[in-house]
Amino acid sequence: MLFNSLSFVVFLVIVLALYYSKILKWTGKKSMLLLASYVFYGLWNPPLVILLWISTVVDWTAGNKLAIEDNQSKRKFWLLLSMFVNLGFLAFFKYGNFLLENFTMVMNALGLAYEPKPMDIILPMGISFYTFQTMSYTIDMYHKKIKPARTFLDFALYVTFFPQLVAGPIVRAKDLITQFYEEKKASTQQFIWGTFLLTVGLFQKVVLADTMLADVSDQVFGSAEILHSLDAWTGTLAFSGQIFFDFAGYSTCAIGIALMLGIILPDNFRYPYASIGFSDLWKRWHISLSTWLRDYLYIPLGGNRNGITRMYVALMLTMLLGGLWHGAAWTFVIWGALHGMYLIVERLLKTKINIKVNAFNGILLAFLTYTLVNFTWVFFRAREFSTAKNMISSMLFMNPEGSKILHGFDIIRVLTLIGILFICHWCMRNTSMKDLSQKISPLLLGVIWAIMFFLIAISQGSGEQFIYFQF
Amino acid sequence: MNLKQSMLIAIALSLLSLVAWEYYWRTQGKLPDIDDNKDLWAVQRAKVETLSENGVILMGSSRVLFDIQLNEWEKETGIKPIQLASAGASPLPIFHDIVNNTDFNGTIVVGVTPGLFFSTTYPQAGPWKRAQSRVEHYENRTYAQRFNHSLSMPLQKNLVFISTSEEGWSDDIDLKSLLYSVSYGEERMDEPPFPPFFKFEYMDENRNNRMSDKTANDTAFARTVKNVWKSIVEGNDRPPQKEETMTFFTEDAKKFRARGGNLILLRCPSTGMFKDIESKHLARSDFWEELVKATEAKAYHYADYEQFKNLDCPEWSHLSGPDASFFTTELVKIMKADGALTKTKTN
Repeated sequence: MLFNSLSFVVFLVIVLALYYSKILKWTGKKSMLLLASYVFYGLWNPPLVILLWISTVVDWTAGNKLAIEDNQSKRKFWLLLSMFVNLGFLAFFKYGNFLLENFTMVMNALGLAYEPKPMDIILPMGISFYTFQTMSYTIDMYHKKIKPARTFLDFALYVTFFPQLVAGPIVRAKDLITQFYEEKKASTQQFIWGTFLLTVGLFQKVVLADTMLADVSDQVFGSAEILHSLDAWTGTLAFSGQIFFDFAGYSTCAIGIALMLGIILPDNFRYPYASIGFSDLWKRWHISLSTWLRDYLYIPLGGNRNGITRMYVALMLTMLLGGLWHGAAWTFVIWGALHGMYLIVERLLKTKINIKVNAFNGILLAFLTYTLVNFTWVFFRAREFSTAKNMISSMLFMNPEGSKILHGFDIIRVLTLIGILFICHWCMRNTSMKDLSQKISPLLLGVIWAIMFFLIAISQGSGEQFIYFQF
Repeated sequence: MNLKQSMLIAIALSLLSLVAWEYYWRTQGKLPDIDDNKDLWAVQRAKVETLSENGVILMGSSRVLFDIQLNEWEKETGIKPIQLASAGASPLPIFHDIVNNTDFNGTIVVGVTPGLFFSTTYPQAGPWKRAQSRVEHYENRTYAQRFNHSLSMPLQKNLVFISTSEEGWSDDIDLKSLLYSVSYGEERMDEPPFPPFFKFEYMDENRNNRMSDKTANDTAFARTVKNVWKSIVEGNDRPPQKEETMTFFTEDAKKFRARGGNLILLRCPSTGMFKDIESKHLARSDFWEELVKATEAKAYHYADYEQFKNLDCPEWSHLSGPDASFFTTELVKIMKADGALTKTKTN
């Protein structure tokens, strides 16, 4: 079920009515939330709920064994079992076709005629998110960083909690399971703020991403022609805005819906396009994934504990796997590699140059960072390397005779919107929406809220899927 | 921060602005309308699963959609046909789906618009893809999508501002379409823009489609549609794939008839540019006659009947509402007289 759909409106009203009714006690409310979460997921493809159940049961069992087991090899067994099941699901459902394609390519390159039938594997929605979330529980249990969930219901709800089930934020057990122990009820202020966040998230997704930007990005990246620089840049900038509004929109909806239930979810985005440098970017973009990769991949790979070279290797490996997490294609690996390279170069430069950031050079550095980020988005969005190559060469002004496929008004619209996005991120980089809303008058906030709602209502459209569902 | 106050202001302003928006579009002559999208098609397709031998399915492209009026058919036969025709599409993928994925052995009327029927069997070509995507949506639609569609129907029937379209008409009023309608900067593009394509029909929830009165009576408006047809025809340099399409269809036709199915081929009227092109490049003797012979199906060509010869298509391809009603009534009478509808329990 999509947040931007009529069925979700009905679903949410029923869930809220049951949650705040007096007919259910806290355990009953949690059971209702769990059941609702399965319905939320199952309305897309019922049989794939079984994967969620398997993941839940395996990690619940592993967690309980790890809580009482002292024998190191047995502890390792339970950890490996959890990782085998979760990563096995990912490997099969997400990377099965990719692995087969590459295997076939290698066989053919070796001169062996091998042409397997495509496996036609369906990608379960949100599998990358919930497997990472459940694995974090087992890994934390293994390292004795957390206590086991008190009840199976609490744990199952942690794995399946519908607001963040299919596209995060990837929440750690210590931050979410403990919230299920005591009865939660949103205060009036929390409930209204949650509703406001839901509106903001839907506005980002429906109006900004789908209505204002998606078509231009699709048109440019879907073109078979070599494009004029302005078209290539407009398409790439449109995608940079689309993916931000799409994903941040989902996270904002998730945080808002959870808040309406009295549950606090962590921020996942903090105005990333105003980042100064790439270390800063990864503290602001998809925060729950970057911290996950830091804690469960980069640090176990040695982090910065084993010298500079090993640190760079760990960094690059983390970013390569981070790229692959986003999708089973080599273009995503290149996207990760570029980010890894940027991070390494930035760290090298920081040892040589010491820049004191102020408002003037800060915005220039943020602009430089954003420009470099856009080159990575080309690989993220392009389905083929040839498309990426053509786009990059056009963006580097190497195709002055390239085709002009975009309407002048589309270019103005995208550049204006992206300009506003960049300036807003810069102005907001050290503050938050909550802080800002406290500074403006209730009347102005109400008017802004109404404008967003109105634009959502007249945009509606066909309820396009969030981009990150496929990851 | 007084959030409660902000929320009340937001609710009041949102309601006011939406009421004003709805009122504005109604004053501009817009009426609530149902979108002929893949969900609406899938609902009709689902009905085939429980359709008895007496049932009738219509398929083809937009000519069957416009020219066959379901109520008139029902009046004449007592049976409301299921309308599976898809505008701008080849009927071959849909016929293939019904023949191979269902046990239906009632009556299927297949509209033959030569330019689309004989166009292609290539999966990525527009006429094929448009039909196939609907078949695939029916197979893959989620429960959430079904639920969304059911919830959207009362809204589509009653509110103008909610209307949007899968087709992307130039006069759609959702925000994206309104942004598209800004013509500033068109001259920048290397390729000239496609002429504006305004919606020229109304559809109901059973997919009964009727040409709007404006199209039938306003020649200037009908000309905008003709301009689109011209643009499509001029941009199409692909020759028809006669052998491939005939072989594909005939194979399915034989399979359908072998299990007792009643197949009827129908050629609806065309005039002006389309009639000229169809006569010259898709001649009846080379295409229609050969198809009828190969499938051994019952076949009805409008030109064979005196009462249809003078029917006019306001935009060269489809009949006006009243003419479509007449065409349907007369056609069913002819079919009944021929015994072509033996499978339907006619009144």
